[in-house]
Amino acid sequence: MNKIQARLTNCFLAVFPELTIDQVVSASSTNVRNWDSVAGVTLLAVVEEEFGILLDNSSVSGLNSFQDFLNYLTRTTSTDLYAAAGGY
Amino acid sequence: MKLLEALNTVKSMHSRGGPTLPCALVTGFTPLHLKTFLTAELVRRIPGRSIEIAEGLYGDLAGNMRRLPEAKFEFAVVVVEWCDLDPRLGIRSGARWSKDELSDIVATAKQHAAQFLHAVGNAAPLPLSVCMPTLPLLPLAHTPGWQKSAFEVDLHGVIQSLASSLAGLPHVRLLSAQQLDLQSPPSERFDLQADLRTGFPYLIPYASTLANLLASLALRSTPKKGLITDLDGTFWNGILGEDGVGGISWDLEHHSQIHAFYQRFLGSLAGAGVLLAVASKNDPALVEEAFARADLAVAPSAFFPVEAHWNAKSESIARILEAWNIAADAVVFVDDSPLELAEVEAAHPGIECVQFPSGDDLEIYGLIARLRDRFGKNTVTEEDGLRLASIRRTRTRDVAAESATDTNFLDQTEAEVSFTFEREPLDPRVLELVNKTNQFNLNGARHTEASWRALLSNPGAFLMVSSYRDKFGPLGRIAVLAGTLCGTRLSVSTWVMSCRAFSRHIEHRCLAELLARFRPEEVRFSYQQTERNGPLRDFLSRLLGSPPAPECNASRSLLDAFLETVLHTPEMIDE
Repeated sequence: MNKIQARLTNCFLAVFPELTIDQVVSASSTNVRNWDSVAGVTLLAVVEEEFGILLDNSSVSGLNSFQDFLNYLTRTTSTDLYAAAGGY
Repeated sequence: MKLLEALNTVKSMHSRGGPTLPCALVTGFTPLHLKTFLTAELVRRIPGRSIEIAEGLYGDLAGNMRRLPEAKFEFAVVVVEWCDLDPRLGIRSGARWSKDELSDIVATAKQHAAQFLHAVGNAAPLPLSVCMPTLPLLPLAHTPGWQKSAFEVDLHGVIQSLASSLAGLPHVRLLSAQQLDLQSPPSERFDLQADLRTGFPYLIPYASTLANLLASLALRSTPKKGLITDLDGTFWNGILGEDGVGGISWDLEHHSQIHAFYQRFLGSLAGAGVLLAVASKNDPALVEEAFARADLAVAPSAFFPVEAHWNAKSESIARILEAWNIAADAVVFVDDSPLELAEVEAAHPGIECVQFPSGDDLEIYGLIARLRDRFGKNTVTEEDGLRLASIRRTRTRDVAAESATDTNFLDQTEAEVSFTFEREPLDPRVLELVNKTNQFNLNGARHTEASWRALLSNPGAFLMVSSYRDKFGPLGRIAVLAGTLCGTRLSVSTWVMSCRAFSRHIEHRCLAELLARFRPEEVRFSYQQTERNGPLRDFLSRLLGSPPAPECNASRSLLDAFLETVLHTPEMIDE
């Protein structure tokens, strides 16, 4: 598990305390019962704060699972993001 | 606090459990992260409780307020924003902003403020912590941003008038706008995107700051009782022994005015009932001479005792604590020397040692602001004004007692013990005694206003408050007993007595009064040992003949025999 994935896992575990670490990787808005609008907004806020990023409206609509978030964060990885995630 | 940290704190609370603390967060907006942060801050302050925060309906602040009395909350936190006074003051409204609309907005704001005030009044006695609008006003007026418009003035007038009315209500505490401004600049509060997306208008860091202050407001920490100050380089600028009485200073001319500010602050603490004393390595005659200077910014009589000599400061602190009869952890010691602070801290675990940052005016100002927080209290009671005088009298009394036997001396004190049994209105002094007393305390249980009222509303509940005075002066209300009477059994769940009232047999008078009034065949004490309630334990041990167990009973005959052997007979007055 790389550093981005580990920190993202912590975000998911904080917002969805009913999940185990093993379940997080496959978590999505369709299979996590408590993933409602409030939880969705909280997850976005935690991820933004944790990775020091601002998610725009167009990005937000495509983030519906752990893998979506991970792909987004990996794709948009920049020097700044690496630093924020403790990569350097 | 970061949001992730807050969520994890809340998560740990859920896994740990504990007795529920039901409270409400009343807003007109979506409380979202503010609720998370507030829960986490409350958990940090009261880790044994399981915090349950109820929220209301979106866009209906007044309605949420009106519905508060329908549920049993221990307290409520209320956050008002501009759009609660008129939705047109919010970004989510689609209404127009014509010139005529602005005067209508002010009129609506006045109307909604009046409705809100009415609802707050109806929520009494539920303790409310209220935050007035904190977000910047939207640019509705026709004036440029740097010019204050009549519209803005009028709206702030509505809020000012509302705040003024709220401040006069005993169950309401207002959040300090100044403190909020210091911790979070207004430009770093509004989250436009979040407000548009979700109806939550605050940036995350601001929500965290606001929740922290609201939690402090809702759950005041127990204020410290006494402050011991050093003199040289602290109370005044300079070293008395070297500079002489005329050489020490606290004025503008010598660039030492900040010490006068410190002195004035100490005077203000004394006025609120905080005990003040001096611990200084100095020539006592010189200190006396310096304290006689007419330009001192605090009355020298505010300090008792004044320990000025060349022995270790820990010895001075020990004598001061003995004279005050309070524990070290209720006291702050201020000194500019880290060495002295370390020596005192080692000898008196629990005392809060604070270094006076001599030579740095800004740091000193900050220290005084922090000290104000440590001693801050909601109300100043009659007993606060009596405290220092009664300690001085106790000292006089102790000297007199040394030359007489205990019983003889008490007989000569012209003691008057009086009792009241009224449960309403709630007396802040009674709750203060319950929540601040450590030594003569039956079980250490603390109460919020709501839990105290709930206890007194139980079937068969009683409350007895005892006051004392003798020829040395009044002590005011010094003992509280509460519990229930069921048949011939009297159950005492609360019994506290101020340490200033020790050695006067007032505890025996309290028991005698209970027996006379309620005529029980048995008294049950909900005793619980705490780290500090040794005096209460010793008293019960003498009564029962052995160390008390939790929920211990004493029969009427045992109580009568015990009181008969001990009691002297001060004049008793039933109020």
